[in-house]
Amino acid sequence: MNDPIKQGLANGWRHIDAATLTEDQQFEADVVIIGTGAGGGMAAEILTQAGLSVIMLEHGALWSSSDFRQQERWAYPHLYQDGAGRKTKDQAIAILQGRTVGGSTTVNWTTSIRTPQPTLDYWRSEFGLDFSGEQSLEPYFAKAAGRLDISKWQVPPNPNNAALQRGCENLGWQYTVIERNVHGCANLGYCGMGCPLNAKQSMLVTTIPAALAGGALLISKVSARQFQFKGDKIQQLDAVAVDQHYQPTARVKLKFKARHYVLAGGAINSPALLLRSGIADPSGRLGKHTYLHPSVISGALFHDAISGHAGAPQSIYSDQFVWPAGNEAGFKLEVPPVHPVLMASKLTGMAELHAGMMQKFNHLQVMIALLRDGFHPQAQGGQVQLDADGEPVLDYQVTDYLWRGVQQAYLAMAELQFAAGAEAVMPVHQDAMLYSSWQQAKTAIADLPLKTYRAALASAHVMGGCNMSVDAAKGVVDAFGNHHQLNNLSVIDGSVLPSSLGANPQLTIYALAWRNTEQLVQRLRG
Amino acid sequence: MQRRQFIMLGLAAGATLATGVTLYPLFDRQEEQKQQDAILVLDALLPAILLGALPGDPAAQQQALFNTRKAVLDFLPFLPKRQQAELHQLFFLLSQQLTRLALTGHSMALAELSLELRLQLLTSWRDSYLTLLQQAYSGLRELLLAAYYGQPQHWQALAYQAPEFRAYE
Repeated sequence: MNDPIKQGLANGWRHIDAATLTEDQQFEADVVIIGTGAGGGMAAEILTQAGLSVIMLEHGALWSSSDFRQQERWAYPHLYQDGAGRKTKDQAIAILQGRTVGGSTTVNWTTSIRTPQPTLDYWRSEFGLDFSGEQSLEPYFAKAAGRLDISKWQVPPNPNNAALQRGCENLGWQYTVIERNVHGCANLGYCGMGCPLNAKQSMLVTTIPAALAGGALLISKVSARQFQFKGDKIQQLDAVAVDQHYQPTARVKLKFKARHYVLAGGAINSPALLLRSGIADPSGRLGKHTYLHPSVISGALFHDAISGHAGAPQSIYSDQFVWPAGNEAGFKLEVPPVHPVLMASKLTGMAELHAGMMQKFNHLQVMIALLRDGFHPQAQGGQVQLDADGEPVLDYQVTDYLWRGVQQAYLAMAELQFAAGAEAVMPVHQDAMLYSSWQQAKTAIADLPLKTYRAALASAHVMGGCNMSVDAAKGVVDAFGNHHQLNNLSVIDGSVLPSSLGANPQLTIYALAWRNTEQLVQRLRG
Repeated sequence: MQRRQFIMLGLAAGATLATGVTLYPLFDRQEEQKQQDAILVLDALLPAILLGALPGDPAAQQQALFNTRKAVLDFLPFLPKRQQAELHQLFFLLSQQLTRLALTGHSMALAELSLELRLQLLTSWRDSYLTLLQQAYSGLRELLLAAYYGQPQHWQALAYQAPEFRAYE
């Protein structure tokens, strides 16, 4: 089967697997990009095409379509941060984040949504960020849509998404057909394990190949450890190779010298590198205000088969509750793909109760509600800290304000699932049961304890930690991702977002990355 | 054993764990010993957590338990060192005499408890007000169930099949 990465490598693209190196090495380039996800991947193509010499660094490995297998037991350890075992410090929220060439774009569910206007309005009022008129992101959304084949999904939704649509229709709730970045998608449903058909237009099959074809160097299985800096200038980046389990080792050390450094490690790893490096933090916001869209889950049993593992994982969302008129926490309604490991580990209970639910696997419809954190004084996000090994750990506390949102979300999901024809609904919470009517569910949900470890919480969207702000006192980088203190450092990834988005983040990151890299090219040429 | 007793035992185990976790950087258990601790605990907990899911045939059941234990052990090195150390600490404590006493009030090893008591023990951690026990419950539960359902030979009960495009070398 066609594997453009393997073909490119055979034709001379420059790639080094750092785990195969046997001695220390030093590299030089105009720009070193740390991370190859939505931010780093986009920056790599634009910088290379501007004639600059570029090195891309990636902690994960270079896996491509002929390596991907549709099995979670392979995909999670090899394609996700911490083997998909990443969690908040108190282990209350599971975090899914990519760690492979292409970053999260290689494993995301392809949902592409423009930055919501109320989010942009909030950024303007709180952080002085003006994305209107001349500064509008619209042209960049359009460019990204062109580059990554983003368009409205024309195929009918799979039964898991169709239930969301039907529930909304029956209740008169808002819903939208999702735009996806795919070309020649066979509607398989395995986006989260790497697209075996190269249909998903991730960084892995678009911008990174373009950068490699343009002469850029990719180094995989390398962990960036520390910036060396003097005054307002980074002088060097120190990195090490990782082992077969992606653990950093001191066996081989790599040094990088560049005119400019682009930090694109994502919203947990980027601030962690700056924290490890001891870089000044006059705003006091480095690694802080990290947002997760904490997500609650509701399962429902349907008479007809749902088979939520098959078909585009996300094709419908509902924004009925994301921007409530009052002061309460908003949430976006979506569905996740339903695969055995993801479900087995998220469903509550064990032994016969759990086994019984798993046997109804193909009749299980699953909803998620993504809480919009970061807009309210009681939802100011978490903090990235370093453990004894210098590895990041996110301390994120769910506040009472967000817990009230959790309860509202359970209610909304149960109401919707019954309206869509569910025979029974079970909020994914330690104390919940299978409820056979909306009335019963409503009463029971009101009594569910709103506590850590009782409610299953997960996140697939990590945002913030190096937030942008016009005023250096309120952010780590400026409106173009330029670090406020260090002259030759830009941050181009989800860590620059000053709040959560209330929408899946990839398209916002693509647009910001495109705009900010264009500005960086001007700076480097000037 | 009565539920009330279990709650008390949960408390004792919590105290042990709390002390243990602060101690973990101080002791240096050999890799082989760590592996033995993990195996002892996994072999005791897997048949309980997987009750109702495991195949009925005794030979198939043994094979499923062995494969799942192996899948857990193979996965652990992908976790951050911090999480690995916490898990090994938990395995160590659960495999030791000290823990046996704390958990059961008797000199009874985890593996000597009936499946029902092992499940009650896990439930008592889940419902404990001690954070460490709640974490132990949710961490082990997820790890073990994920390892079991990650294996294609256990998908028959789910009527699930993953598409295959090519033979993987």
